[in-house]
Amino acid sequence: MKHKALMWSFSLIALTFVLVRDACAYIDPGTGSYIFQILIASVLGGLFALKIFWKNIKAALTRKSSTGEGQEDDKQQQ
Amino acid sequence: MINSSSSSVPGSFRDPSGFLFLRDGILYRQINQLCKDDYDRLMTSGLYERLVDRGLLIPHEEADISLAQGPDAYRIIRPRLVPFLSYPYEWCFSQLKDAALATLEIQQIAFDAGMELKDSSAYNIQFVDGKPVLIDTLSFEIYQQGQPWVAYRQFCQHFLAPLALMSCTDVRLSQMFRIYIDGVPLDLASSLLPKRTWARFSLLSHIHFHAKSQARYAEKTEGVKRGSVSTLGYRGLIDSLKSTVQSLRWSPGGTEWSDYYDKTNYTDTALEHKKEIVGSFLDAAKPSTVWDLGANTGLFSDLAAQRGMLTISFDIDPSAVEKNYLRCRNAGEGRIIPLVLDLTNPSPGIGWENRERMSLQERGPVDLAMALALIHHLAISNNVPLPRVARFLAGICTWLIIEFVPKEDSQVQRLLATREDVFPHYEKVSFERSFAEFFTIERAAGVEGAKRTIYLMRKKS
Repeated sequence: MKHKALMWSFSLIALTFVLVRDACAYIDPGTGSYIFQILIASVLGGLFALKIFWKNIKAALTRKSSTGEGQEDDKQQQ
Repeated sequence: MINSSSSSVPGSFRDPSGFLFLRDGILYRQINQLCKDDYDRLMTSGLYERLVDRGLLIPHEEADISLAQGPDAYRIIRPRLVPFLSYPYEWCFSQLKDAALATLEIQQIAFDAGMELKDSSAYNIQFVDGKPVLIDTLSFEIYQQGQPWVAYRQFCQHFLAPLALMSCTDVRLSQMFRIYIDGVPLDLASSLLPKRTWARFSLLSHIHFHAKSQARYAEKTEGVKRGSVSTLGYRGLIDSLKSTVQSLRWSPGGTEWSDYYDKTNYTDTALEHKKEIVGSFLDAAKPSTVWDLGANTGLFSDLAAQRGMLTISFDIDPSAVEKNYLRCRNAGEGRIIPLVLDLTNPSPGIGWENRERMSLQERGPVDLAMALALIHHLAISNNVPLPRVARFLAGICTWLIIEFVPKEDSQVQRLLATREDVFPHYEKVSFERSFAEFFTIERAAGVEGAKRTIYLMRKKS
């Protein structure tokens, strides 16, 4: 089962390489820019994932605290 | 099929997906078969409506295919006209920053719809109703999984590098756009930026390391176009560019002109009277468009805008233009477009055949030009003889509101304080004679409490 999943992952990665095409692009992305982007995007992708993760945690905590406050308010009103 | 009365627009030839052309004075864009799928996706995915609703993309309507300029045509569209074309070397810092952020917002929205921007030229952005709008409907292509952003280099050259230079080195470096048609080369930006920018991860990566990578792979072709960028990496790149642009700031200080109104010898009464005169002249001429030359922070541009006139508010001082733009943006005043312009060296035609980007004169003539408190700067500070000033103004407008500032005025005295007075012809009679060669003087009014005269003139036919 594990082996099959691994094969699928490899196939997907290989497919992304095959799918890379020029489309209608008419400007030169620049060799150095192209290679640099591949490198920097992997770093920035990781940072972006962390940012989203942190945002979600913050949102969840804010929701929790506001719900808590809401319950407190409800209690006080009672 | 090719229409003899049509002419292609000189600045629209690089992208084989289509081009702009004029027929019977109407602007059309041909969309070629080459990007049929991209155009169809833009229109059917809801992306077009989303961007137009948010005021980020110029709206268009489809026109008759019989207008096609050749067999490659897939569709002909008629985009909404942009009332005045301006260029990045005429924008202040915040205009370029807003244009950059609009480009990234469009890119993010397009990415969510499975598309992307295939170019990110600053020239594709224009200010319409005070907001940056993408005017190139053909800038979209279907996103291919794993493909890096093809316009990353162009975005850094057209937006990030000039903004960083304006913010961290000198705001006047926006003028580098006039030399480099495809944006500021990153190696040049890297060498001009102060050392402290190496300590900022965003500028270190997108400019300094990016420039090094360009230099390193300049001659290499091996191994190019291998590797891919994940969806997460792609989003991370756009998000990083956005936060980098947002972090760049520049504050207009009090410069020679931006605090001009505090230094003039105008009393409040004289200033109010001057406004009354200018207002009544505007009401008499009833122009649709106005160029306010030497507009400073836009005090008199407001008079035209309040009358519903589209007003291009030019000034040489980037600080004054920045203040004017921020003031208009905050007030939601979309009828004023503040722009940086040195009248003694106005924007020339640049790019291929000197025709890709129009000169100032080519964008005229305007219905009415205002030259208030300007003549002494041209004639005395810059030694331009009065007949030449008159000839230049006659070439760009039909109506003219111009203020003559005599030698007795303290502002002229200030200009003459450190130099020899070699201007025996700088007096009212010579002024009127010089302008009468090109214009009919319709009205003249003296400003109360000042020695100045304001004229309303109409160009002789």
